[in-house]
Amino acid sequence: MSLPDRTVLDNGAVLVSQSLPSNPFISFRGSIPAGMAAEDGDYGVAEFVSRLLLSGTRRASAAKISDRLEGIGATLEFRNSEEALVFQGRCTRETVAETVRIFVACLSQPAFPPKEVERVRGELRNDFRLERDDTRHRAMRELARIVFPKDHPYGRDPKGDEARVRSIRRRDIVDFHAAHIGPEGLILAITGDVDRELVEEDVAGPLSRLRGNGEPPKPVSPPGVHRPRSVWIPMPHKSQADIVVGMQAVSRRADDYYPLHLANLLFGRIGMFGRLGRNLRDEQGLAYYAMSSLEARTTGGFWSISAGVNPANLEKAIRGIRSEMDRLRTETFSLEEIRDGKDNQVGSLIVSLERNAEVAAELHRMEYYGLGMDFLERYADIVRDLSEDRVRDVARKYFDPATCSMVVAGPVGRTRVAL
Amino acid sequence: MPTHVESLDNGLKVILRSIPDAKALSTWVTYRIGSRNEVPGMTGSTHWVEHMLFKGGGKLAKGDVDRLASRLGGKYNAFTDTDFTTYFETLPASAMDTALLIESERMRNAAFDPKEVEAERTVVISEREGAENQPEFLVEEELWGLAFHVHPYHWMPIGYKQDLARFQRDPLYQHYLRFYAPNNAFLVLVGGFDPAVAMHHIRESFAPLKPEAPPEPMRLEEPEQRGERRSDLRRPGAADLLSVGWHIPPFVHEDTPALILLSTILGGWRGFTPLAAGEWHSRSNRLYRALVETKLATEAVVRQEMKIDPALLIASVTLADGVSLDRVESVVDAEVERLRKTPPAKAEMARAKRQVRSWYRYEHDGVTNQGLLLSIMEAISSWDAAESVLAKIEKVRADDVREAARKYLAEDHRSVVRFHAQEVPR
Repeated sequence: MSLPDRTVLDNGAVLVSQSLPSNPFISFRGSIPAGMAAEDGDYGVAEFVSRLLLSGTRRASAAKISDRLEGIGATLEFRNSEEALVFQGRCTRETVAETVRIFVACLSQPAFPPKEVERVRGELRNDFRLERDDTRHRAMRELARIVFPKDHPYGRDPKGDEARVRSIRRRDIVDFHAAHIGPEGLILAITGDVDRELVEEDVAGPLSRLRGNGEPPKPVSPPGVHRPRSVWIPMPHKSQADIVVGMQAVSRRADDYYPLHLANLLFGRIGMFGRLGRNLRDEQGLAYYAMSSLEARTTGGFWSISAGVNPANLEKAIRGIRSEMDRLRTETFSLEEIRDGKDNQVGSLIVSLERNAEVAAELHRMEYYGLGMDFLERYADIVRDLSEDRVRDVARKYFDPATCSMVVAGPVGRTRVAL
Repeated sequence: MPTHVESLDNGLKVILRSIPDAKALSTWVTYRIGSRNEVPGMTGSTHWVEHMLFKGGGKLAKGDVDRLASRLGGKYNAFTDTDFTTYFETLPASAMDTALLIESERMRNAAFDPKEVEAERTVVISEREGAENQPEFLVEEELWGLAFHVHPYHWMPIGYKQDLARFQRDPLYQHYLRFYAPNNAFLVLVGGFDPAVAMHHIRESFAPLKPEAPPEPMRLEEPEQRGERRSDLRRPGAADLLSVGWHIPPFVHEDTPALILLSTILGGWRGFTPLAAGEWHSRSNRLYRALVETKLATEAVVRQEMKIDPALLIASVTLADGVSLDRVESVVDAEVERLRKTPPAKAEMARAKRQVRSWYRYEHDGVTNQGLLLSIMEAISSWDAAESVLAKIEKVRADDVREAARKYLAEDHRSVVRFHAQEVPR
């Protein structure tokens, strides 16, 4: 694969493109720094905005936009996240100009019709209701809240809370949009059936007409100190309990990121969920899933374990999680485990980029975290150069039960076990 | 797209789609065995067998499947459906032999170690319990149980918990030996390879495997439903749910193209395969306009189940707070009635056709998706069926959609499940 093209438009938006002509359509993915981190106390407003961008512009109603997009067979989605407003879509070479025009109109001229604001308010209230009844969601939401305290964007509910959802007014939405949605910090990665001419004419052209307020995006603040604790959320009407364990990890640009990424792979991902899955699922048969995840972001990261178990097995499962974390100190990753993990990461570069959508997401990540357009070329060497001891050290340093919080949601009965 | 199809002497059908510049290779082996081939008391056995086929046997020790695929950075998994069970690995294109080794050993040599069978019991039950946590699963299970009294679509591929609790190893192993044979399977390979070289390696790996006697054809036929069936579930939950299922013919039926457009107009289209669309949902469809835009519901989707045997077209609605099930059901009825009375407008037909065409392109994103699409199509009809259905869809007229609505979306042929969310105990 040749290096992607990177263009900075006059208005500051960055366009990254890569031609993959054998895939007969186009995928794009991008972001604008208008997520939760930009909220400044107006919690929940970024979520409203993200859900309303397809709900009508000054010239077209919500129905007209969806009729137009679906009439040309294109998709366009907006989603709020901790740091950014994220967008993605699919179209064909023939429909890319129209799709980008609609996308730019949705970003620059949203009407935020009062009727749609109320529809989204109802949708959000319903989401709160549904999530209250979801064991996995409740456990993970509570864990994030504990690990990233003081309403940090990595820890709070993207929807705010029910009181905020009731109180947000259309004016708040309009103001947030005006303050944060523009070309400043916008990244658009596009791939598939594209070439330079098409990108310049049909993508860069309309995108360069976006105007903002010229202010640089606000940086994401670093998270506060996590004080570990345990929370049990009884949901007696459920069949299964969800256990989640987690702590703050490192940012994407931190020196420890690559060894930690590999350590996480070995601990709870590779094969049927790494060492953790081997213990809980394969050997003890306690859980259909038991895995770990590492989400590295701009100013910090989140490492977590999750497992779904029968309530009768809660204690055994928690003991199993603890024993695997302890084992990182008594039986460190073997040379063979680390070699397999490195091979997996190098091999997955091919396998994980087989789809247009995956390539677009990776191109976006490369630009978002400033990894460089040659990142994919360097990646294999970065992985191969990791020392085994470094991987073992970061596993011991970060995957420490004493620094983790734990949340259990489900039919927990009277069970209360410490990690 | 050029596709080479050939059968080995032992009956294994091979479908090869070479994409010369692809760096990855996706290998799919699909068995013509699903929960439709199970009998009462053994529900979930096909899915349990699927779990056991990751546990080694023959040349593969326990853990080797994971190790071999993981070392290469591969994606791999398996799915048990009502109509088929499929296993896949997507690996770097240079690793074809690894995929063929895993799949050829899996076909006849799985170990079924009694200790491993027992260890998997709680895992499978845990999978079911995880699903039970979601009211949508309970509604889905109830709907198929209500709509099918004779045919095994009555139960879900995961099976009933009481069956899972008492299965023994030997019947499971017999189930495996009976149905996992080259003449009851087909292999799909998509990606960067030379077809002649691939065929050579496939013959080496699979030609020595012995066929079994062909499985008995499905003899169970669901009698025509006469009269609406209804079920009201009252369980703790967050939102009321409505699910309506109408009997439709099998995928190979001539009315399928019209039904696809009917589904698209009523509830949007998300591709032939279940994974293509991700979280994207159509908004340009009648139920979304009538239920979500009007704030009666937060979600309304239509799913046309494309199966070997007659199946269901399902409309599922998540109700907004404070809205009654009666009200939402009457809106669904009105929209169905509108389709039965008046042919869709020209623009609506054109939009629906365009949506289906575009999604077909998107479903070709990458070798894994192409392998999935070819495998599902071959399992329920033939590997190139989607293409021919697409061609037929272009010829469907608005009147055909109305006729399909009149014929299939009839009250007498439907089953309705209403989930009344009860207050959650604290």
